[in-house]
Amino acid sequence: MDRTTPVEISREGAHDVAILWKDGRRSSYAARYLRLACPCAQCIEEITGRPLLDPATVPEDVHPVRIDAVGHYAIQIMFSDGHGTGIFTFDRLRELDREDSDSPSPSGSPA
Amino acid sequence: MPADEKAILTALGKVMDPDLNRDIVSLGFVKNMKIVGGKVAFDVELTTPACPVKDQLKAQAEEQALSVEGVESVDITMTAQVRQSAPQSAGLQKIPGVTHMIPVASGKGGVGKSTVSVNLALALAQTGARVGLMDLDIYGPSVPTIMGLEAKPVVEENRILPAEKHGVKFISMGFFLEEEKAVVWRGPMLVKMIDEFIANVEWGELDYMIVDLPPGTGDIQLSLCQKIALTGAVVVSTPQDVALKVAQKAISLFNSLKTPVLGLVENMSYYSCPACGEKDYIFGHGGTKKAATRLGLPFLGELPLSTKIREDSDAGEPTVIADPNGEHARAFQAIAAQMAAQVSIRTMNEEAAVKINF
Ligand SMILES: Nc1ncnc2c1ncn2[C@@H]1O[C@H](COP(=O)(O)OP(=O)(O)OP(=O)(O)O)[C@@H](O)[C@H]1O
Ligand SMILES: [Mg+2]
Ligand SMILES: [Zn+2]
Repeated sequence: MDRTTPVEISREGAHDVAILWKDGRRSSYAARYLRLACPCAQCIEEITGRPLLDPATVPEDVHPVRIDAVGHYAIQIMFSDGHGTGIFTFDRLRELDREDSDSPSPSGSPA
Repeated sequence: MPADEKAILTALGKVMDPDLNRDIVSLGFVKNMKIVGGKVAFDVELTTPACPVKDQLKAQAEEQALSVEGVESVDITMTAQVRQSAPQSAGLQKIPGVTHMIPVASGKGGVGKSTVSVNLALALAQTGARVGLMDLDIYGPSVPTIMGLEAKPVVEENRILPAEKHGVKFISMGFFLEEEKAVVWRGPMLVKMIDEFIANVEWGELDYMIVDLPPGTGDIQLSLCQKIALTGAVVVSTPQDVALKVAQKAISLFNSLKTPVLGLVENMSYYSCPACGEKDYIFGHGGTKKAATRLGLPFLGELPLSTKIREDSDAGEPTVIADPNGEHARAFQAIAAQMAAQVSIRTMNEEAAVKINF
């Protein structure tokens, strides 16, 4: 549980996101990496898990403009390209931390 | 020597509520223990009469109590007290006497919100809960038809008495609208009507109020979430990908308004063959469940596509009343139980939210 319970979500550098987890790990996420990892139904096909988002259509400088808590289990990120339907669960965010050695490799991770 | 109360409580401390993830003693569920010699009697007070694991908890409590030295017989009474949740944010109103307000929503029309709302309300009432049903669909208020009641509620000195049937109190926009006028009731007028329903209806004491919403993410949804303290919404979807996408829109709206989502229901999930009873998942299996997992939301259950469900609704004899022990009714009852469990979980686990500095 501690692995997927965040204590604090903060800004890193100009636009990146950092999460401090209850187990002590600090994860960093590049702004565009998060946008490409958006799990919403417009970006990933529900039934098959096939990616629908073409990375070429995502601006290089895309970044989160707002982050809101969703219940006790997720955050919703509004990005600078106007896209904000993605709900990032804490479980998923921990998976998306690619440098976390004991993390299983994220399924369908963005290129 | 009479059986020892402390020893019994220690034994009962091994009975875990699987939804709340805590034992029934530390949750304060064990009440009124009486010990006469080897005869032990007590109450187990759950947080909802619709608890999906009621029988399991009772059996486990009995087994544990009987394992204590000196205990010869155990008599357990299962009761329930639906508890209030802390208000999610300041400035929201509560309807006096109503413990949990639960809107049923969908991204698009025709997915079965009204069918689900009515049957959920009736299924909760069947467990002994006190239940209300508010039909806020201005475009096609169908609750009176499904409930089999077109009669208008009584209005007394500006107070509205809700209609009542099968143990559920309900009120519908349909009672107050003439059909051709419905379309012009937009925006501010409509919001005033909701205020009216909330302030001037004599609901009495209710454990759960189910609110049937119009399809989509319009004025009614917005003003309800901005005004009233809601325990959480139930979102209905059909299995097709396109419907799931629009369900996501509804979920996003609730999220942005800080209204919790209790879980997703998949309606018209499979066709259950009336001849052989086999389930045919015409649209593929598990779409809504997958969506729920991805969104980190509970999946409350699935309902079959069945001519019988539609016929029951059209006849004003909803499925859980028409055939309360049938397969379809059981599907509705199971979803009602899961929903009630989610309400309890939310009420009991109000932990600190994460700090966001962004
Ligand atoms: N599981 C089901 N099996 C068969 N028919 C169903 C099922 N659920 C709903 N229906 C039928 O589908 C139609 C639409 O259902 P319902 O009115 O409950 O949907 P709704 O989402 O409330 O629609 P609206 O958006 O118009 O308010 C009704 O005729 C209803 O009887
Ligand atoms: Mg309806
Ligand atoms: Zn997306």
